[in-house]
Amino acid sequence: MAEAILEVRDLHKHYPLTQGILFKKQVGAVKAVDGVDFDLAAGETLGIVGESGCGKSTVAKMLVNLEKPTSGSIRYKGEDLTKLSPRALKAVRRNIQMVFQDPYTSLNPRMTVGDIIGEPYEIHPEVAPKGDRRRKVQDLLDVVGLNPEYINRYPHQFSGGQRQRIGIARGLALQPEIIVADEPVSALDVSVQAQVVNLLDRLQSEFSLSYVFIAHDLSIVRHISDRVGVMYLGRIVEIGTDAQIYDHPTHPYTQALLSAVPVPDPEARAHRERIILTGDVPSPANVPSGCRFRTRCWKAQERCALEVPLLAVPAVFRLTDSPARHDSACHFAEEKRVVPPEDSLPHPVPLEEGPAPAEATREAESEAAAEAEAVAVAEADEAAVRRADAAADAEERAGEQTGEPSGEPPGEPSGEPPGERPGEGTGERTERRPGEPPEEPGGPKSL
Amino acid sequence: MLLEVRDLHVEFHTREGVAKAVNGVNYSVDAGETLAVLGESGSGKSVTAQAVMGILDMPPGRIPKGEILFQGQDLLTLKEEERRKVRGAKMAMIFQDALSSLNPVLSVGEQLGEMFIVHKGMSKKDARAQAVELMDRVRIPAAKERVGQYPHQFSGGMRQRIMIAMALALEPELIIADEPTTALDVTVQAQVMDLLAELQREYNMGLILITHDLGVVADVADKIAVMYAGRIVEQSPVHEIYKAPAHPYTRGLLDSIPRLDQKGQELYAIKGLPPNLLAIPPGCAFNPRCPMAQDVCRTDVPPLYPVTESPVPRTSACHFWKECLHG
Repeated sequence: MAEAILEVRDLHKHYPLTQGILFKKQVGAVKAVDGVDFDLAAGETLGIVGESGCGKSTVAKMLVNLEKPTSGSIRYKGEDLTKLSPRALKAVRRNIQMVFQDPYTSLNPRMTVGDIIGEPYEIHPEVAPKGDRRRKVQDLLDVVGLNPEYINRYPHQFSGGQRQRIGIARGLALQPEIIVADEPVSALDVSVQAQVVNLLDRLQSEFSLSYVFIAHDLSIVRHISDRVGVMYLGRIVEIGTDAQIYDHPTHPYTQALLSAVPVPDPEARAHRERIILTGDVPSPANVPSGCRFRTRCWKAQERCALEVPLLAVPAVFRLTDSPARHDSACHFAEEKRVVPPEDSLPHPVPLEEGPAPAEATREAESEAAAEAEAVAVAEADEAAVRRADAAADAEERAGEQTGEPSGEPPGEPSGEPPGERPGEGTGERTERRPGEPPEEPGGPKSL
Repeated sequence: MLLEVRDLHVEFHTREGVAKAVNGVNYSVDAGETLAVLGESGSGKSVTAQAVMGILDMPPGRIPKGEILFQGQDLLTLKEEERRKVRGAKMAMIFQDALSSLNPVLSVGEQLGEMFIVHKGMSKKDARAQAVELMDRVRIPAAKERVGQYPHQFSGGMRQRIMIAMALALEPELIIADEPTTALDVTVQAQVMDLLAELQREYNMGLILITHDLGVVADVADKIAVMYAGRIVEQSPVHEIYKAPAHPYTRGLLDSIPRLDQKGQELYAIKGLPPNLLAIPPGCAFNPRCPMAQDVCRTDVPPLYPVTESPVPRTSACHFWKECLHG
């Protein structure tokens, strides 16, 4: 690996839980991030995936100093950001910028696009002298594929995808080396998502940026990342190159996560094994002892409750040459391929025209910009209607009969304790669906 | 046929003009069948569903044309009073955002039991027992203990289960689920989709699944309707559409999602933005973004061409569906 420009060691963020009004005493802590280590090399993209509440966004905030770590270190080119004086920190922060998830709330509605993108220069005037700023902002707009003439427009005049481009332009303004992107495309429509992902790709090679790319969408993370870390309840449970994680996962959580992703290909169903986890993620205020995944793990044994597994290459793989030889925090790590190899599946033939060149996309977007507003407004109305009706509808469910067929088993309740035996505990329910016709005559039509 | 929507049009009168949200939608669902309606925001997929449920705000909404046949009866000719009897009892809806759809100041048991008290005249005690049973049915653990808890005490997945329980309460024949798993994490999403599919089989319900996620659709749907600018551009059994899409928009969507099983180079991106519903382009609405567009696409609205007739009909609203289908 190339030299690391960012080294994160044993990073913790605990939010205290207090009791009492006048005399507050700490009764516990929400352990949002509980010991995270990783390196980021220059020019690489590190993807971080995990479910909501696993602490991935808190890590992002600590990297850009929006949250102070409880303990641990973040070293940027050898300097520990957590120990720098405010003045020194300000200089360093220029190099680490953030792109936020929600393009609707992360842009001030009362500022013009020019002011939004140019605001970082107020704090770091050394980057662009006052007279030069407008031109710089216009350059940035051009770089992210927006018309430079839009500099005086307001955020509401843009569509979601265009707003995210504005957010990206703001992130680029100070010519950073590292961009921390927290779910940058999850709020966007599928076709627009691809445009923004391609933009991020292009910018990376153009400005030799390093990305920390945080997302819950495993497909997008694989697409954009060189290395991927999987987080669970405040810790990284497995980390490796994209092929190691996706094709040779060794941690049961990673395997479950990958197997749960719906693949847009009905044929793939036959080739896939699904591991459906029961229950929800435990509260970070009350983390299970030992391995924190054990309450949902089908392999859990006594040892898992007693010993915290370390993030390291598991002993069984240490001497091998296989791609399974990467860091995984599990006592019983075992390779299991859950995503079928790509060549086993048929794919639609790509369009003749091939990928649209970036220039064309940019032009088309500029033309469509005026129209974007109305669409956004219509969409907002639609959402409002839906919500208002939800409440009304619940009352309106007029009933004639409610006799429920009884005697059916309630099924396995989620969140139950892990099984005793490895491999076939209560936590696992594996399904193979070869697309067979349903057993009962009343089942869905098979096609 | 359980539900048949014929040539449905919905428009919204706004200050800027008339927004044509739905422009001639045809689809049908049979008992026990799952129809997935796929589209981006603003494509009219939710508005169509709201029209079917009869929960569209009118005004500003208006249905100038069309029929919604439910078990042979046109719902649009019914009086609001009669419509209410269908809604809830015969068809129910599951919304995306469970937290804002549930009342935060009433316990879950009260909200579930309310229906039995109001509509069936049950006593409070019986209604509570019914609520517990419903919660059991959607696999909420420790239902007896949790029936008195409030929505905020449940996780996202559990709240969505409560929404499903509510929809199921009166044992409807049709369920419309509007992005039921969009707000959930993947592992929880799989649980909820599985539950929904299982209950559907058990009760032999028709299910309309509204989503933008091509992955979720592939896993559960029998047939797919792809919507763009208020029209269905392609309708097909699920396997065929993934193998060989017959409309360039469908093809673009499929190509633009990154895949879990491959690294891939640059993603294919459909250029431009979805059209403004106040001014839908003449001809085919997709023509400004379409890589295959010809002159005829800019003038003539494509009819629904039959791609295959049997065993299950497949249609495409593209003048060049043959070229698209064969790559």
